Amino acid sequence: MEEQPKEIESIRIKVIGIGGAGTNMADRLMFDCPKEVSLTVMNTDQQALSGSPISDKFCVGKSVTYGLGTGGDLEVGREAARVDKARLETMVEGVDLLFLTVGLGGGTGTSIAPILADMANKNGTVVIAFAAMPFTIERAERASVAKHGLEALRDKCNAVIPLPNDLLIQETDPDASILDAFAKADAWIERAIKSIWSMMHRPGLINLDFSQLKLTFSRKAGKTLFGLGAGEGEDSAKLAVEDLKLCPLLHTPEFSKKADHLLVNIVGGAHLSISQVQHIMDSVTDEFGKDSNVVMGAVIDEQMGDKVEICVVGTSDVSGVSLMRGSQYKRAVSAVTSESHERTLKVTATSQKRNSRGSKSRKKPNSTEQHEFSFSDEDPKGEFENVSSTVIDGQDLDTPTYLRKGVKIVL
Amino acid sequence: MQKTKIIAGIEIGTGKVSVLLGEIIEGKSLNIIGMGQCSSKGVVKGDIVDFHEANDCTHAAILAAENQAGVKIDGVYLAMSGTHIEGFASEASVNVTGADGMVTRGDLLQVCDVAQSRELPENRTVIHHLRRPYRLDGRCLNTPVGMEGEKLEVSYWTSHGDARKISDAIHIINGFNLHVDDIILSALASSSTVTTPEERKSGVLVIDLGRGTTDYALYNEGRCMIAGALPIGGDHISNDLSIGLRVRLKQAESLKLRFGSAVNESKDKSEKVWLNNDLEIGDRPVPLWSIEKIVELRATETFEVVKKRLGKLYSNDKLGAGIVLCGGGSNLPNVDRCAAKVFGTQARIGDNRSMASGELRDGQFSTPLGLLHYGLRYQGSRDVVNNEQGSGLFGKLKGLFQKG
Repeated sequence: MEEQPKEIESIRIKVIGIGGAGTNMADRLMFDCPKEVSLTVMNTDQQALSGSPISDKFCVGKSVTYGLGTGGDLEVGREAARVDKARLETMVEGVDLLFLTVGLGGGTGTSIAPILADMANKNGTVVIAFAAMPFTIERAERASVAKHGLEALRDKCNAVIPLPNDLLIQETDPDASILDAFAKADAWIERAIKSIWSMMHRPGLINLDFSQLKLTFSRKAGKTLFGLGAGEGEDSAKLAVEDLKLCPLLHTPEFSKKADHLLVNIVGGAHLSISQVQHIMDSVTDEFGKDSNVVMGAVIDEQMGDKVEICVVGTSDVSGVSLMRGSQYKRAVSAVTSESHERTLKVTATSQKRNSRGSKSRKKPNSTEQHEFSFSDEDPKGEFENVSSTVIDGQDLDTPTYLRKGVKIVL
Repeated sequence: MQKTKIIAGIEIGTGKVSVLLGEIIEGKSLNIIGMGQCSSKGVVKGDIVDFHEANDCTHAAILAAENQAGVKIDGVYLAMSGTHIEGFASEASVNVTGADGMVTRGDLLQVCDVAQSRELPENRTVIHHLRRPYRLDGRCLNTPVGMEGEKLEVSYWTSHGDARKISDAIHIINGFNLHVDDIILSALASSSTVTTPEERKSGVLVIDLGRGTTDYALYNEGRCMIAGALPIGGDHISNDLSIGLRVRLKQAESLKLRFGSAVNESKDKSEKVWLNNDLEIGDRPVPLWSIEKIVELRATETFEVVKKRLGKLYSNDKLGAGIVLCGGGSNLPNVDRCAAKVFGTQARIGDNRSMASGELRDGQFSTPLGLLHYGLRYQGSRDVVNNEQGSGLFGKLKGLFQKG
């Protein structure tokens, strides 16, 4: 397989883009991707796939679709995954951390992503899915397919980060083309994956490692928040904090206050100083809950120059996780904690990693524990999050009008 | 029957509970003698979501009104709104049976019976059977008895609500040891305050912009053609602002009140206003353009949804008196211009001039005033009301109690 040879014992991170939108997102990662991350794209549409610059590509279910796509039919997508089951299984084999990028609402991604996530999960892989949700201006039918797809995906992944295109468009210029808007949406995923990757691979002032990340993701979390902020120049740390506070993914302070466990990663250039880190940590904990259990990391990346980027992942104990999930959670956590004892904090030292790999999480029987991300569920509704929604003509009117109409709000 | 009766008009709204007390003298004239208000809790989008909280604030408001007037309430008229209000139209026609082709009272009763006979889904309670004008061979008439014709048609707008939610509200009133005489759709109550019979005759659309709901009623030929409640209100504007500008809900609420406008007038995107305006740490400038844009989009959409709900019944030709806006949301600057733009006709802010003076003229009292007005009519012409509206609350809830 295309994955890295067994003898290099570092954490194996893989990104798989599924379907048209998923492939586009993965393509974007290609240009600026750390070489430790292997990229794979798959689609049922041969033609769309051939446009991808990623070398490792796979046309799923050729015998079913003849490489012509699913035409939005989920059943065709599932059938395609069924006939190529063996191939898909080898694809996710031996991966420690799997990112799925998928655009929900279509035929291929919506049907195959949960199947793939399930396979990976059986191997004990941590699966984090980035799911782009369709624009409201796309058809209502598509939104409903996406919603069901998201539920299916949540059932199989360790974490699902839904990225409503409506929300991401807020980051573009008011008169940007639809292509620019999609590109901008993809850029968010790129930033997120890169930040999580650098957490584990870059040398750091303060290191965070895979087991800590794993632990954050395996808490019995009802809600998780995810935010990114960046700043540049002399006041980069301060600007990054300001930017983070205005991150559309963390749109209301009330949401983020709920976080009980925070994982904060700071990536900065060579000049990143302890005092800057101090400032960021103070502001972040101030903003997102003083009482929360905070795990922090600070990483140096020479390419960043005088730029500072903050990535916040938070989970909360208030949860709607069912009892069944709860028991799975206990099992999962015990597996993770035993593992984290064996692991050491040093990420760069591969020799030490080899030791810890002996007890790799493969033994973990079942890790379908589920996390809901609150920052941007399918739709951000703020105050109306927990009351019955007002759906008229397939649009949830509790979601702000400006988001649904794709009107950019300047801040 | 006693000569003076004290009735209360109570609206358990999303923003506040309003109670007005009226003294009906000899069933003919109405004096407003007391008022009680309490900011509402446990109500979202017009629905009671926390019984105890809603109960406490409603009782506080009733108590305040009773204390002010120094009287005991004899009967309550309760306004209804919320997410659960739905409605449908049903039609019926009969051939005129009377000798020499004249419509008899029997024809009238029969056609009305047929039109009202449509079964409701389970757990639904009728709030109103609103009769639209009769049509005799296509002619629009209000009193066809004695007229000549062949085919008598009638259509009703039946407004119904969730039986449990309605009884929740009634239980709150009963809990204060008061009897609910009738429940009235909020939109109907406020329209009877802010419009005149002449306006309703020439056609008018009343939109009550509440905090949790937007209630609407369309009148033509003096009759209500369609009425309902849309669970979108002022809270949505605040929520949109809170999300769009990344501020707390309270700050968003304050921005809405200070700078909100239903028409985006600021051309300069860089013009900023202070978020808290207290010169303290945490205050930051917010672009005025963004505030106005968010409010404008939501207000426009709300009117568009109302227009869509009215469907074919809405036509500018039949709207001689235009649109009348009331409720707290009508205080939003330019909201009339926004409505006029969406509907393509004139719109004005309604007031309660015809019924009250002083502070009661404020748009927020339209609904409770309308309830009292309704109560007065109910006292004055009991027979007619019985015929036209069903037999009061008891009739409406009969089915419910039988089930229980």
